[in-house]
Amino acid sequence: MVTAAVMLSVVAALAWLLWLAADIPGRIGTARWVGLLAVALIPVWLLLVAYYAPIEAVQGIIQKIFYVHIPAIIPTYFGFILSAIGGGLYLFTRQERWDQLAVSGAEVGVVFCTLMLVVGPIWAKPAWGQWWAWDLRLTMTLILWFIYVAYLFLRSFAFGSDTARTYTAVYGIAGVCVIPFVYFALDLAQSATMHPTNPAREGLPPEMGRTVGVGMITFIWIFAWLIARRCEVGLLQSRVLASRVGVA
Amino acid sequence: MPWVLAAYGVTGVVLVGYALYLRAARGAALRDQQRRS
Repeated sequence: MVTAAVMLSVVAALAWLLWLAADIPGRIGTARWVGLLAVALIPVWLLLVAYYAPIEAVQGIIQKIFYVHIPAIIPTYFGFILSAIGGGLYLFTRQERWDQLAVSGAEVGVVFCTLMLVVGPIWAKPAWGQWWAWDLRLTMTLILWFIYVAYLFLRSFAFGSDTARTYTAVYGIAGVCVIPFVYFALDLAQSATMHPTNPAREGLPPEMGRTVGVGMITFIWIFAWLIARRCEVGLLQSRVLASRVGVA
Repeated sequence: MPWVLAAYGVTGVVLVGYALYLRAARGAALRDQQRRS
């Protein structure tokens, strides 16, 4: 039930973002409702974390970090996949709106990936006694973060150029190929990592599963709202740049 | 408990901070656009 709701949210958010990107100025008004949905979900998620999810027997209260660390993973992957989709559509159509979607996906994906990389060590220190370990999952996640930070640097150094748009579109499509290595790092490392297993296969108790599911849904809609706002800002900045070039 | 509060606090700061950055960037772009029109 919760898994279906999470999948439905991913599909609905993706459909809404593609619909929005097709006409950003005309459809950005709908972002208000998505923002309200995200804001309404936040207290529900936090109340579930505080009062509904049980305190885990081994780790105690610090296991509650699970409910913020795991939900950040979906928007991270979603953002980078969206960047590849937007990049592919830009290469195919050469329409700027898809380029805006690609850049927005990369930037918001980096925000959530940063969150995951910061919250993870805050959990690791009390749970495992160390902030960081160079195991395959952590190292691959850091590499993924560097790949998309480099994407944003490449983009900012050559803002507004068609060549930069083409290069970053190809780069974004290539970068997304790292995601399976991050996800399956635990299988590739054959248990030689700090992470026990992929949460989807853990068979969580129902209370924990529902709480993390609501966290995922909340983060998906926060992500969708941030993407919409980033697309709008990107379009406005692009218009200002075009007017500057026109004046010059 | 401090670790849990730190994790949720950092999450709040990052997400709200990014949303405020987008709001400021939107305002700056709109002002720039009006100045040029």
